[in-house]
Amino acid sequence: MIEETDISKEGLLTAYKNIVMERLFDKKMLNASRQGFLPFYIPLMGHEAIHIGLGMAIREEDFFYPYYRDFGVLLQMGIPMDTILSQVFATATDNEIGRDMPDHFSLKKYNIGAVITPVAGHLTSATGIAYAKKYRKQNGSVITTFGDGATSTPDFHVAMNFAGVYNLPMVFFVENNQFAISVPTYPTEDKAFNQTYEETKGAIYKKAEAYGFNGVRIDGTNFIEVYRETRKALENAESGPLLIEAMTYRMGPHSTADDPNKYRTTTVVEGGEKDPVTVSQKILKDMAILTDKDIDDINKDMEETTSQLIDKYEKAPKPDKSTMMGNLYEQEPWYISEERGDIQ
Amino acid sequence: MTQMTMVKALNSGLNNAMEKDDSIILLGEDVGTDGGVFRVTDGLLAKYGKERVMDTPLAELGIVGFGIGMSMAGLKSIPEIQFQDFIYTAMDQIINQMAKLRYRTNGDYTLPMVLRTPYGGGVHGGPYHSQSGEVYFTHTQGLTVVTPSNPYDAKGLLLSSIELNDPVIFLEPKRLYYAGKMEVPDDYYKVDLRKASVIREGDDLTILTYGPAVPLVKSTVEKNNVNAQIIDLRTLSPFDLDTIMAGVKKTGKVLIVHEAPKMFGVGAELSATISERAIDYLAAPILRVTGLDIPIPFALEEYYVPNERRIMAAIEKLLKY
Ligand SMILES: Cc1ncc(C[n+]2csc(CCOP(=O)(O)OP(=O)(O)O)c2C)c(N)n1
Ligand SMILES: [Mg+2]
Repeated sequence: MIEETDISKEGLLTAYKNIVMERLFDKKMLNASRQGFLPFYIPLMGHEAIHIGLGMAIREEDFFYPYYRDFGVLLQMGIPMDTILSQVFATATDNEIGRDMPDHFSLKKYNIGAVITPVAGHLTSATGIAYAKKYRKQNGSVITTFGDGATSTPDFHVAMNFAGVYNLPMVFFVENNQFAISVPTYPTEDKAFNQTYEETKGAIYKKAEAYGFNGVRIDGTNFIEVYRETRKALENAESGPLLIEAMTYRMGPHSTADDPNKYRTTTVVEGGEKDPVTVSQKILKDMAILTDKDIDDINKDMEETTSQLIDKYEKAPKPDKSTMMGNLYEQEPWYISEERGDIQ
Repeated sequence: MTQMTMVKALNSGLNNAMEKDDSIILLGEDVGTDGGVFRVTDGLLAKYGKERVMDTPLAELGIVGFGIGMSMAGLKSIPEIQFQDFIYTAMDQIINQMAKLRYRTNGDYTLPMVLRTPYGGGVHGGPYHSQSGEVYFTHTQGLTVVTPSNPYDAKGLLLSSIELNDPVIFLEPKRLYYAGKMEVPDDYYKVDLRKASVIREGDDLTILTYGPAVPLVKSTVEKNNVNAQIIDLRTLSPFDLDTIMAGVKKTGKVLIVHEAPKMFGVGAELSATISERAIDYLAAPILRVTGLDIPIPFALEEYYVPNERRIMAAIEKLLKY
């Protein structure tokens, strides 16, 4: 099937370049973490089509509240590389001055929320932000992303219920990579491992119905489909919420502290049929937008760009310890001022 | 000026603030049509409409999280948790999002919001309508924890809290909600959040107390003609070190009275801080009279909380020392 879209050829090529860039960044950051430049990193492999599709879909008037595995969305949204990489490498120029873990962005001026580690901890905040938009009669909607595992939390259900009750301009977007660390989302057929229980028995996208709105399931390896369905949802959300479950597969480990060989047979591998990079190449070749030569050229180009950037940021200076105590309160309490003297 | 109970004073404060600033939104269980189970939000729905006085689904996590989102987006939310005892499903939001947002984003996001909740005994509510959980909040970096002890302070501290560009946990002593009336201005006014109040001067000892225990301490001291200085902390975190230290250095004897249990409580922090800074001024050990270290029992509540007998026993011990 040949995809149809309102995106220009140029736009599609930019999207593809960002998909490749995300993949290359991912590999290099895993490397940087092995070499000790990054104490922790959250791999992205398998999420590229979702990220780039989302980045294409989100409009200037929308508010985006991401979770910790959304690095690529920011690339496609055009957030300056310096802003992104100084956060990931916790450098002195990071707007959070290295206070939070890699990928925990906070970018208020771009209408992006503050990524929080506790799974689903941002979902009720996103719902409140949607209420503020509605109360102030502002254009645009709120979109928030989270993993499949997050749908087991109370936060997910409470946020969905509030969004339904107040009929909020909101898109709940599940990046279903089929695992919450080691626990499968749905029952699996993997006979090689003793997987005892799963996250849920019921289809995630159907859970919206009980809260009074619709849910849909889409292909999270197809960036054009992700773009199309999400953009439509954002436009329609002004008359009420929607839940989107985008299906993909977490190809790498959960984090740099995880070894998936302990709990699963990895079924989607790099270059395989279901690898979002392969899927994207096929889509664009079928549309006669991309040739094998383009693929090679883009790879080389991106290889160089990402190498140079990583090189620069992994060696960038870290924040000074004197910055550590500031901004706990607007007006600094006496004991914070005293404890400044304890930093040695 | 009008004679007001604490409930009326809080209601008047909310009304003054909402009149002035349309970014203020109240939300919580039964705060709208019902006016709140203690009536603090009575009449506000009729005046400001359901966009600003929102009855919510029964989910404390949602009430707090929703309020956080509003305040991240430029509104000022004032969520109410019906009883402090039910706040625990929202603790993740309070500790991990509300308290840390400014710090972890280095001020990219700030959170002007006031989380109001009634706490402590006084209504024979047993283990789940009487808790004094202030230390769960005071031990969380980034929160301002305020608790008034009379109608005038209640309104003034509430209005200061609403103006603060940081999250406040506003603990309302439910035993004082209807405990008496006093003259309260009808207009907008503020009470300094970072200043403790010396509610009585005296020379023989200094009593540090706050919230629900203040009227009891005051009446005990007056009835028994004790020459005690009484300091009402008003804000537990960050507390007013200067006022406390001045009192301690003046009298050299310290009694701390609070309704919450003793172990690891506010009294422990005050006592440690005073010892670290003024051990040479102390003429006696710092004593504490507090709630007992058990959950608050339904039938025998009056033996659980501090009372005149226990306070006087501690005072006599200190005076004899
Ligand atoms: C509330 C909470 N519990 C546990 C964790 C530890 N943890 C981090 S990620 C994760 C799995 C999340 O899975 P999912 O929601 O599917 O997102 P994914 O990581 O697969 O993208 C867990 C258990 C956490 N961060 N927060
Ligand atoms: Mg997952």
